[in-house]
Amino acid sequence: MARCDCEQADGISRRVFVKAGALGLVSLGLDPLFLGRAAYALRAPGHKTGGKVLVCVFQRGAVDGLSMIVPHAEAAYYRGRGRIAIGRPGSGDGAAIDLDGHFGLHPRLASLKPLWDAHSLAIVQAVGSPDTTRSHFDAQDYMESGTPGVKSTRDGWLNRALEHRAEHRATPFRGVAFSQQLPRALQGSAPTLAIPDLAAFGIRAPAGARDRLTAAFEALYGGGETGIIASTAAESFEAVQLLKRADPTRYAPEHAAQYPRGPFARAMQQVAQLIKSDLGMEIAFVDVGGWDTHINQGSGAQGQLALRLDEFGGALAAFNQDLGDRMADVVVLTMSEFGRTVAENGNSGTDHGHATAMMVMGGGVRGGRVAGRWPGLEPDQLYEQRDLAVTTDFRDLFAEVATRHLGIAQTDAVFPGYTASPDRFPGVLE
Amino acid sequence: MRMMHLAWGLLVAACATGARQAARAPDSMPATPEPAAMAAPRRPFTFPAADSATALHLLNRLTFGPRPGDIARVQRLGIQRWLDEQLDPARISDPVQGAVRERYAEAFAPPAELYAEYPPPNLARRPPAPPGRPDAPPDSMQIARFQQNGRRLGGAVVMATLARHAGSERQLQEVMTDFWFNHFNVFIGKQADRWLTGDYVERAIRAHALGRFEDLLKAVAHHPAMLVYLDNAQSVAPGSQPPALARRILARMPDEVQRRMPTGINENYGRELLELHTLGVDGGYTQQDVQNVARILTGWSTVGPGLPGGAPLGGRLAGRRPFTFEFHDWAHDRGEKFVLGQVFPAGHMQDEGERLLTLLALHPSTARHIAHKLCERFVADEAPDGCVDHATAAYLRTHGDIAAVLRAIVESPDFWAGTVRRTKVKSPLEFVVSAMRSTGATPDSTPRLAGVLQVLGQPLFQQQVPTGYPETQEMWVNSGALLGRMNVAMGIASGRLPGLTVDLDPTVPLTTDKDALVARVNATILGGQASPNTLRVIRQQIDDLADPTMARTMAVGLALGSPEFQKQ
Repeated sequence: MARCDCEQADGISRRVFVKAGALGLVSLGLDPLFLGRAAYALRAPGHKTGGKVLVCVFQRGAVDGLSMIVPHAEAAYYRGRGRIAIGRPGSGDGAAIDLDGHFGLHPRLASLKPLWDAHSLAIVQAVGSPDTTRSHFDAQDYMESGTPGVKSTRDGWLNRALEHRAEHRATPFRGVAFSQQLPRALQGSAPTLAIPDLAAFGIRAPAGARDRLTAAFEALYGGGETGIIASTAAESFEAVQLLKRADPTRYAPEHAAQYPRGPFARAMQQVAQLIKSDLGMEIAFVDVGGWDTHINQGSGAQGQLALRLDEFGGALAAFNQDLGDRMADVVVLTMSEFGRTVAENGNSGTDHGHATAMMVMGGGVRGGRVAGRWPGLEPDQLYEQRDLAVTTDFRDLFAEVATRHLGIAQTDAVFPGYTASPDRFPGVLE
Repeated sequence: MRMMHLAWGLLVAACATGARQAARAPDSMPATPEPAAMAAPRRPFTFPAADSATALHLLNRLTFGPRPGDIARVQRLGIQRWLDEQLDPARISDPVQGAVRERYAEAFAPPAELYAEYPPPNLARRPPAPPGRPDAPPDSMQIARFQQNGRRLGGAVVMATLARHAGSERQLQEVMTDFWFNHFNVFIGKQADRWLTGDYVERAIRAHALGRFEDLLKAVAHHPAMLVYLDNAQSVAPGSQPPALARRILARMPDEVQRRMPTGINENYGRELLELHTLGVDGGYTQQDVQNVARILTGWSTVGPGLPGGAPLGGRLAGRRPFTFEFHDWAHDRGEKFVLGQVFPAGHMQDEGERLLTLLALHPSTARHIAHKLCERFVADEAPDGCVDHATAAYLRTHGDIAAVLRAIVESPDFWAGTVRRTKVKSPLEFVVSAMRSTGATPDSTPRLAGVLQVLGQPLFQQQVPTGYPETQEMWVNSGALLGRMNVAMGIASGRLPGLTVDLDPTVPLTTDKDALVARVNATILGGQASPNTLRVIRQQIDDLADPTMARTMAVGLALGSPEFQKQ
């Protein structure tokens, strides 16, 4: 449980320094947009204009990886799930959609099949945490801090990823959670925003009064006040201004993308909006809940799990469609704290298990394949005779994304106490 | 699901049948006076003269912020007398207590009653069964009511807490209640803590907030809310067998329930007890100590909910009180243990734990850990060494008398240093409560104000991790949260913040004299300490507002949203 206060303090002072520097320029009358461009111009020539973006989607509540990505070639899957198994491909209504002869997609994830066929969707099966807790609360904490088994880690792995990206624009939008609170994964000393709704971000007042109030608060915080409050305020007002110019209230998805209804789809549309606004977002974080299916999980294309997957897959597919060519710079990574029991329980549901499945989608993805070693579902292959065993440490997957997509060299700084090694990467990115 | 729940409730109750009665309830423990410590001569300390800036500093740190008139009151009483009064809350008459108990009764009801009134969601959600059956579930109207009530319960606990933080005359006790709850954090969303958190805040935390640390630690360790939150309730010695009745019930249960029976030691509480609650992460314990502490605490558990609806248990289970502490001797590790070099001989059952808690409470590492956290809270994010030394010495001299430690901190030169004044960023809780106090706002009977804290990033009683919320500013200052504070400030000023009733007339009367309005707002909300820039911006912004109500809303809103008001 080592705490490194020294490193923490160093990160903070660096942040304050960087922010104070930016504030100095602003108070000299330089346009913050210009500042953004100036910082951007420091990047190596030939760099693409968009910059890489990582979109993390957290399926809170422990998704049933075995009915999301169905091991339809395993007899044990059908033995254990008499009432809730997803049928073998071709077995009629509600059957799995075959991927590679062994695994298949849940029927309500049909919208993701074209991405699989286009090799821009990869799946990692049997991924999870080396920590064996079956507590949602601990397991989410570990997955977000990036330090399984260690509760005292103060910041999240995505914030540390921001800290360790060498080149980035000076923008308040580097890390954005599309939620009311900053998730644990994004907490830390690098600047991040929590934006529940792009259209409502800023000073809330009737249209006529909003600009005036915004200017008044900006003047309150701009008058010689120093320290983290002043620099954060400057950042906030800059974010509000930048966002206003980008005008997120007037947004129409492109390429005939149709987002399903629901809070997750709405959030994904806002992620697409912000990416297209070119405000320098590097990491986006979206939560999607409803996966804790202890009772009446449903079977085939019907029931709770089917409904959740319908919005989930539909929103991911629409996001991909909406972004079009820009997906080349974007990777979407889905995650969940653990998986669920191989066998159904007495309530036609599943209980807390161990390994689950995660998806990686976007540019540079070595898609069209299920990565990770498959441990099998026979009793002697299970973890504690009941759960899918973990064969890929989630940190190996996350570290591969951090290294190959975000270009972070020091993964041991992002995952303290862990040495990520390319030979353990699941190999989902080029 | 219902069957399973019923079975589970019975089983957990049955597991208690092998228990012997708890040796003593923590609340009924006789107070142990410490005459020697009380009489120990204190180094004389001369407080600085109570000018208004000094009085404001005292109030900013030891209360949830001044109400109009509080600064003058400190100046009148003198710092010494004001402090003496606050350190002895029983002597302060506090009319708000009764009103809060009446208004938010759910927050004070025994957990077993709350369980009956607000059943678990899976019970409330079960589909209606045909009428006429003895265990017929409630109809759909009742289900809807249960669900609504369930959402209200958490809100009531938060609102009762906010109402007392804002309205109590025993301000230091309220501040320390917040401090200790955060130190001994539990998560209201984890299992039975939904029904237990209100009781935990009241009986374990607030009751001991200014008492002896040993009593506080023991009250927490005996409270089911903590035993559930950190999983000690299901920590059992490997190979232990529940009583025969429980085994017979268990044998008839679905596999899933049988699989959920604990089979071994859970170190969760043992570890946090050492790392977070007492010695501190660098307090000099080993993994062996953690394991031995967990072994000593096997059997420290709680009676389960019993039957749905709160019906009394019958037959051989009669007399068990749901949601109370119980020591399960069948689950206790019977071996000898060693902690911090001390032997805990085998066979002393619950007394081993009692002895362990005393050892930890009086340990020098604990003294320093607690002193450090208190200096961080009351003096500066980076606790000054002098303050920590001073507080540690007081802790050791008085065997953990919390009031004496607080007195030592306020009597430390570090507390009064110019460099620490108005440097600490308020937590969202401190921001909201101080705004309520400065404007005389009162919470209404809805739980909507709880949602405001959630938006600002500090949902009360909903911190999932046992570390609680950090005391340092990095946690609280981010763009969304800061803009959120400005919006809340304007919401309070305009009387439109959900969950609050605001009447500004007594504190900032309407006036057409704009300079007088600015001066009044500075005096009542900013303690007379507004910066020239803040005064100028407020004056500018009200200049063209002819309507006095509008001008007042603008002035109060900007003051509450100003950088000065974000600090204490």
